[in-house]
Amino acid sequence: MKCVLVATEGAEVLFYWTDKEFEENLRLKFRQSENEEEELPALEDQLSTLLAPVIISSVTMLEKLSDTYTSFSTENGSHLYVLHLFGECLFIAINGDHSESEGDLRRKLCVLKYLFEVHFGLVTVDSQLIRKELRPPDLNQRARVWKHFQRLLDTYSHLREQEQSFAVEAVERLIHPQLCELSIETLERHVVQAVNSSPERGGEEALHAFLLVHCKLLAFYSSHGASTLRPADLLALILLVQDLQPTQDTTEEDNNDDNSSQSFTQRRPLSSQNIPVHQAGSQSTAGPPRSSEETDTDSISLPEEYFTPAPSPGEQSSGSILWLDGGTPPTDVLQMAEGTPQGLVPHSPEPSSPRRIFLDANVKENYCPLVPHTMYCLPLWPGINMVLLTKGSSTALALVLYQLLDGFSLLEKKLKEGQEPGSALRSQPFVGDLRQKMDKFVKNRVGQEIQSSWLEFKTKAFSRSEAGSSWELLQACGKLKRQLCTIYRLSFLATAPSRGGPHLPQHLQDQAQKLMKERLLDWKDFLLVKSRRNVTMVSYLEDFPGLVHFIYVDRTTGQMVAPSLSSSEKMSSELGKGPLAAFVKAKVWALVRLARRYLQKGCTTLLFQEGDFRCSYFLWFENDMGYKLQMIEVPVLSDDSVPIGVLGGDYYRKLLRYYSKSRPSEPVRCYELLTLHLSVIPTDLLVQQASQLARRLGEASRVTLP
Amino acid sequence: MATPTPPEIKSASWWNYFFLYDGSKVKGEGDPTRAGICYFYPSQTLLDQQELICGQLAGVVRCLWDLSGTPPTLIRLRKLKFAIRVDGDYLWENQFWPSHPKVAYGLLPGQTRTVTEALALGCGVELSDVSCRQFLDQLIGFFHFYMGPVSLAYKSRPQEELSLQWDTFITQVLRGTSELHRIFNALWNLDHTKVEPLLLLKAALILQTCQRSPHVLAGCILYKGLIVNSQLPPSLTAKVLLHQTVPADQRLPGAGAAPQEAGAALPPGVQITPVFLTEEEVASLHEFTVEQKTRLQESSSQYPLWDRSTPTQAEDAWMSAAILEPTPRDGACLNGREADGRSLGHEQQEHVATAGLCTTACGPGSSSSSRMQQELGFSRQELDLSEIHISEPQEAFAPMPALGDQEAVLTSHQAPMLPEDTAVCSCLDPSPLERLSESGGLERLTDLPITNGQTQVPSTDPLLRGSSRPVLVPPQDPVGEERSAEQCGDGSREHHSALADSRGPSTSADRSGFEPSPARPQAGLLPMNLYTHSVNGLVLSLLTEKPLLRDIAAIEEVYHSSLASLNGLEVHLKETLPRDEASPTSSTYNFVHYDRIQSVLTANLSLVATPQDRRFLQAVNVMHSDFAQLPMLYEMTVRNASTAVYACCNPAQETYFQQLTPTARSSGFPNPQDCAFSLAGKAKRKLLKHGVNLL
Repeated sequence: MKCVLVATEGAEVLFYWTDKEFEENLRLKFRQSENEEEELPALEDQLSTLLAPVIISSVTMLEKLSDTYTSFSTENGSHLYVLHLFGECLFIAINGDHSESEGDLRRKLCVLKYLFEVHFGLVTVDSQLIRKELRPPDLNQRARVWKHFQRLLDTYSHLREQEQSFAVEAVERLIHPQLCELSIETLERHVVQAVNSSPERGGEEALHAFLLVHCKLLAFYSSHGASTLRPADLLALILLVQDLQPTQDTTEEDNNDDNSSQSFTQRRPLSSQNIPVHQAGSQSTAGPPRSSEETDTDSISLPEEYFTPAPSPGEQSSGSILWLDGGTPPTDVLQMAEGTPQGLVPHSPEPSSPRRIFLDANVKENYCPLVPHTMYCLPLWPGINMVLLTKGSSTALALVLYQLLDGFSLLEKKLKEGQEPGSALRSQPFVGDLRQKMDKFVKNRVGQEIQSSWLEFKTKAFSRSEAGSSWELLQACGKLKRQLCTIYRLSFLATAPSRGGPHLPQHLQDQAQKLMKERLLDWKDFLLVKSRRNVTMVSYLEDFPGLVHFIYVDRTTGQMVAPSLSSSEKMSSELGKGPLAAFVKAKVWALVRLARRYLQKGCTTLLFQEGDFRCSYFLWFENDMGYKLQMIEVPVLSDDSVPIGVLGGDYYRKLLRYYSKSRPSEPVRCYELLTLHLSVIPTDLLVQQASQLARRLGEASRVTLP
Repeated sequence: MATPTPPEIKSASWWNYFFLYDGSKVKGEGDPTRAGICYFYPSQTLLDQQELICGQLAGVVRCLWDLSGTPPTLIRLRKLKFAIRVDGDYLWENQFWPSHPKVAYGLLPGQTRTVTEALALGCGVELSDVSCRQFLDQLIGFFHFYMGPVSLAYKSRPQEELSLQWDTFITQVLRGTSELHRIFNALWNLDHTKVEPLLLLKAALILQTCQRSPHVLAGCILYKGLIVNSQLPPSLTAKVLLHQTVPADQRLPGAGAAPQEAGAALPPGVQITPVFLTEEEVASLHEFTVEQKTRLQESSSQYPLWDRSTPTQAEDAWMSAAILEPTPRDGACLNGREADGRSLGHEQQEHVATAGLCTTACGPGSSSSSRMQQELGFSRQELDLSEIHISEPQEAFAPMPALGDQEAVLTSHQAPMLPEDTAVCSCLDPSPLERLSESGGLERLTDLPITNGQTQVPSTDPLLRGSSRPVLVPPQDPVGEERSAEQCGDGSREHHSALADSRGPSTSADRSGFEPSPARPQAGLLPMNLYTHSVNGLVLSLLTEKPLLRDIAAIEEVYHSSLASLNGLEVHLKETLPRDEASPTSSTYNFVHYDRIQSVLTANLSLVATPQDRRFLQAVNVMHSDFAQLPMLYEMTVRNASTAVYACCNPAQETYFQQLTPTARSSGFPNPQDCAFSLAGKAKRKLLKHGVNLL
């Protein structure tokens, strides 16, 4: 009984996702009331009918009481509704089977919102435009868009339940230094450099390339000009890849127990032809010696490149030129785009075709969220994928648009807070800055509507004689923002690679794919097995008697280490398979959930005994030398705040920034350790073990830092 | 303690709204929302605001009800949260809506659900969800206890009068809470460490003595608003407690008028107030009585066994005990059928357990001392059968000292025959019709049975009607219900009781099945009397059956049997207590000990909260709700930068401990030397002197 709904304030459905049970439930409800012969309304209409009072009421409450609903629960929490308002879109998640907590539901909503951003960039800022993206008037197109996000949500839910890396939201490295090095070299020379030196690449520039074995990261390489990829973005990319190339054996598993999995197989008929992963198991001995016992693992971590070369002066104008090529006023193009059958569907039929995605990056040493990139997912073998990220020539335009939108949003905020338009507002530094930037931006857009809007705005905001009211200014602000968003949309979405926009020629992609395949051919089977038994608990049992499981997370790099925990039928872990493994897995997931809850309430250490287990959670800060820094009071957050996690609002990034305020001089790193012990282990021994374990894991990762 | 309180309420920051909304009055499009607002707190809220909140919430409740099949119990906003209780029926109507479903927002064509009454309590988000719900339940409980079913009360009384009632209840709840009490929704009790244990024992004995008087079921003794001893479950004690703080002159109108009707002047300091108990509450009271009486006849060698076992399944015991159906009153088991009665009782309980009827609103119940012990002891077997107890040894919750003595005294006292009782009286509930009139004018209550008692007896008795077994109808007696009951022969009473007894758990279902209950969720609210006798600060409160009102002899008996002891107890308490209240010495630690069964707290927190205390309370708040949700969780240590809190819990108690000595700031990195990890040991040592045994 699960459902996710995104609706406008007018209860128009922008997106929905339901599981079979919920759908069936709805059908029953409507069948009761409708005449048998009459056709049932479409699912989206059913949802909108049922939930409209809630949506409308929540808008009313916000208007009249400046407060709005965040959750509903029925007796014993049997039904749970979580509401979150993003801009003018209301996100609702419903659970009727106790399987998800409020935190889970809220996180799901935040992840969905984040996925929208990854797909639509700053277009999400404008409620009108995002409405058109998420709910295209053409029904087929709408069905395609919704299907795409429904599948993404399915994939996300699946990963969150199955993969430790998605439970704690950190990237898991495949620990094999030798292979990692080999792969990085190949990625550098034969993928990134090969692409960037090719004259045929057009305006595209390869920035990042990485290899994934199932959900685990084998190797990652960033070009010198590239800014760091945030952990959240990397996780989102892994999610996208898993969606495109679902891991095969989990898919089979699903068929037995999970309804939603049917969509996996249905949409990927070819996956059944894939070589089953477990077949490779016997060959693991033939491969290179297993290194899982050694914990001194990652030979390389994510490149820590903060340096960005000065951009070429032509870049900014190229963005403008691109717009000039477009030529038509935004509104017309909008209609045009709607008319085209393909529209702006982000998902293209062939999975390997490049996709437009929006990721945070530094542009010209300025932080810029949601910069357009192109993602190429190049499958090597089932379960092993190479991903290449490129940027087009117009990233500078993205930065300008972001800055302008940001400026107008700030202005709107000030006006809404009650600041009167006039000299006080004009004298604010950001207003002057905005004015200057906007003047420059508009100069090249002769004959476009934005010019006249800007002129109109300027008279209202800056002229002394006929200053507009604050309401008028807000209107003008909104109009300008919409026009900027429209430009953004036309520049980056309308010209998306999937719609024939600029992208790397196919043969360049093929070449990189082929080369990587050749390099890894001998390792293929080993990798697939290794990804299932990345770190084994056996290697820790001797030194840490009583320890059942642990998860160690470096929150600065967003990477985690944990023994493999597989409750799959085919892959048995040390815990065996079936009930025991599933039991331990449930314990670990519960520990993660509780630890997050207490962290939300400001507790950085948690120790508890539940049944036959003792669980512990520690969060601490270190400097680069590994010196443990003093703990600070962590903010206490409300229940309806964005839940702790990385996808859709990186809590740890904010935490690190918060901590850095007190020590601006040195870089700060943040770590987490979760352990699960047998309850016979006394507290002091448990803490001692946790301390040793953290040291050991910390040293292992620090030694290999470049 | 009757300090006069003006009815106007000081607003509390944590309590924002309370309202009662009658959706049945707002059906058509044209009906204004205000028509449905029966009561709104705070009353100075603008009417538009009231309408907004009531209207929006009622709409959302109805919509969610449609969607989930059950009404929501909690609605959270960013700054507020509302506990919701819907007290009404489904109403399936055939209505014709325009064909396009969107037009009829939320109302599926052909079906609507009318929320007859929705009660909601809105409070700040800091208050935990559980507490928010509990406060609402408590408030509704108060109303039911003193005024009867809400819908009936509103039909039969002027709204202004009832609003005044709500005001009074809210004042009481607001006044009676510290932050700590809010977290646990605990009752105020006398600090047992500051009182001579013999005094507590004495209080227990007074109550037990009173129980020997006719009509008296159980009671509690309060001193200056604090519980000295209670035989009642905590929810009931809370309701009785409320009565104490309402001064006589503004005591619940309509409620206080009854005694005079009885014709005779009551002894000084005594008041008899009609009250309403839920079936569950009545059941639990009767359960005590049977058990007690029967036990008294048994060989006393059994008690120690039970008593020792009591702490173990305390809460569960209460839960299951609370749902037991009313068994025949004590009197029914007289004349040598005691053993039988007892075995029947057991049989019945087994019934209940196997039938899986559990969970009541009663929650972790309580009553201190002997009553508790009996109760728990009694239900132990049944617990074993149903296998719901948690097999964790609970030595910590040791039986009260001097319990054995109590029992001994009790046995010797109660061996003699009890005065003739109104044996089946409890079965002779007036019909719903009568109840309606009762709540309209309680004074008439006493007359009613006389007029239609004879005919009503067989037909209205739910126990009898619901049973498929042959029913033995008590001989009809022209004097009236009670008389008839009393006069029926011993044999028949026994029989009757046995019969009712063996019917076991089905009664509840049957009853709600055939009763055209006007207030379904509260199915039967049964009229009772609350006898209170105050001696300065000390108040003896007894829940009695209705006939007490007319039985002057019985009143006299209760009065005289307890008067001297009460006076003595009052003097002793007065001498003991103030001396100890002084000097709240600054401590090096904070602790809170919550008795889940009696719902009382022991704590050493100072009134003015320091930042450390705030941290402590925050942690306690979060951990308390986790303990409630995760039954397997029983020990927990949390730490932030500046402080650490240790907590442990078992089915009977929860304990929280925080050390106040400035702790060296740690890094958060696991460090065995960190004082946070030695808190468990410290708590065990330090709390011993507060009577908290964590070993």
